[in-house]
Amino acid sequence: MSDTVFEVKDVHYSYLGKFPALCGIDITIRSGEKIAVIGANGTGKSTLLQLLDGLIFPDHGHVTAFGERLLENSQFDAKTAHLFRKRVGLVFQNADIQLFCPSVREDIAFGPLQFGVAAQEVKRRTLEVAEVLDIQHLLDRVPHQLSIGEKRRVAIASVLAIDPDVYLFDEPTAGLDPLTVRHIIDFIVNANRRGKTIITATHDLHIIGEIADTVYVFGRNKSIVRGGSSDSVLNDRSLLESNNLIHMHRHHHEGREHVHQHLPLEPHD
Amino acid sequence: MINASHKRSDFIERSMLSALAFLKEATMSEEYANRKGFLQSLDPRFKTISLLAFLLTAVSLKSAVLIGILYGLCLILALLSSVPVRRFLVRTLLFIPLFSICIVLPTLFSLVTPGEPVWSFQVLGVSGILTRPGVDGAVLFVVRIATSVSLVVLLSLTTRYSELLKVLRVLGIPQIFVLTVSMCYRYLYLFATMVENIFTAVKSRVGVVSRQRQGQSIVTWNIANTWNRTTQMSEEVYMAMLSRGYTGEPRLLSEFNAMPKDWVWLLCALIICAGLFYSGHIL
Ligand SMILES: Nc1ncnc2c1ncn2[C@@H]1O[C@H](COP(=O)(O)OP(=O)(O)OP(=O)(O)O)[C@@H](O)[C@H]1O
Ligand SMILES: [Mg+2]
Repeated sequence: MSDTVFEVKDVHYSYLGKFPALCGIDITIRSGEKIAVIGANGTGKSTLLQLLDGLIFPDHGHVTAFGERLLENSQFDAKTAHLFRKRVGLVFQNADIQLFCPSVREDIAFGPLQFGVAAQEVKRRTLEVAEVLDIQHLLDRVPHQLSIGEKRRVAIASVLAIDPDVYLFDEPTAGLDPLTVRHIIDFIVNANRRGKTIITATHDLHIIGEIADTVYVFGRNKSIVRGGSSDSVLNDRSLLESNNLIHMHRHHHEGREHVHQHLPLEPHD
Repeated sequence: MINASHKRSDFIERSMLSALAFLKEATMSEEYANRKGFLQSLDPRFKTISLLAFLLTAVSLKSAVLIGILYGLCLILALLSSVPVRRFLVRTLLFIPLFSICIVLPTLFSLVTPGEPVWSFQVLGVSGILTRPGVDGAVLFVVRIATSVSLVVLLSLTTRYSELLKVLRVLGIPQIFVLTVSMCYRYLYLFATMVENIFTAVKSRVGVVSRQRQGQSIVTWNIANTWNRTTQMSEEVYMAMLSRGYTGEPRLLSEFNAMPKDWVWLLCALIICAGLFYSGHIL
């Protein structure tokens, strides 16, 4: 019924030819799905998102987006590439990288302008997007002088302004206060309700239940050790523990030492 | 002995940190740009053009007295724009060595925007100074530099950095050049912050940086590492631009609206310049 957005087939990728980052990944993502990619640090989550965004290309295997193979720029027909970029938006892990314009306003406008949206419409959109992410008061600030949470909102705004069909989020909630995390999760859930496909890389298990229906767990061998519904993955404690996603929690409790796993879905006893 | 070397490196460290802080503050703070004042109220394009006209006049005039008049005008403008004159003076004096280089830079710009006879005149002015090391020349040089620096500092103090970049774009400087400048600026900021952080981090780990070998190697390693990070970052920034549809020809917004006041000011500025040029010829 639903059509395929991404098809990742036996993808291998290594940085500079010697630092392996992905080893044999297979994933199929359909339109309108909510996907989470979880894994410890350095398991290749960011690398996968950059592959999906057509910024880097596999050493081996291939990535298909909207039925077409993603190929290096030189082989990528310029028009197809432009269309692809309009449909897929990536919110980078490092907002400092993502924001490169002299003012927040210009950073938000950058995307739409590249796609030839008329200046008047770009201005309207900038204001609209700023309102959604509650950053109207930051529009004239210099992006790299903002706080991490503010930068993250601006980064999301800069992608939202393009209005892509597919959102790739790389650690959208890392290092943010609970209220900001809440806003970002709400944003993701709303976008999905509007039919957007959402792919999020994270190691924050607390948010997975809300932002994903399907979860892929990346292991230390830089491949997928498990994929399935978010409930089934979150309930598999030994899997999560062996992949560094939860840890034992030791504390004193009514006079006795007490050890338990730190798991997100259950209330703390 | 140990004590002495310790003191010295402490001094170096302190002066380095304060230099960094100054650099950041001087170039990045938009405190004065956000104040209400005469220059702040002008359309950035008109302000830039008029101050550039003064600058060109200052570097072309051959009379220290006439340039001195421009310098006075500059101080009046600073007053009218609620820039505290004493700090302004200190800043410009500190920047003089840096800007001595920038005066030679227009040679470079004439490649970018050819066809303006004023540019080549200015280049002649500088080479004239280099070959005439008399006292007169030296005085002229200092007055000229001080005036030019003051004008440039005044412009950068009273204009938001994002507007300044926009003006460059509007004045026909190629967009890719403007984008490069804006990124250099960004990296400068990140670089300054990084070096600051590294100092703090090393200090917290090792205690006093200079007394231990380990501390020194950490510093060396971190400097190399910072460089690596900066180059890697520029690759990643390129990716971020690609991701948002950049195709090698950036398209950016530009929106300004000029008021009658801006035109009046520009006219006044040009009359002043013409007057000075004329007196320069007569004298
Ligand atoms: N620029 C690079 N050069 C060399 N190796 C790299 C580079 N970027 C990533 N790697 C390596 O690739 C592997 C995967 O990195 P990646 O950034 O995709 O991990 P990640 O799952 O996103 O980690 P994190 O949770 O820390 O963000 C790591 O082992 C890392 O060391
Ligand atoms: Mg990552």
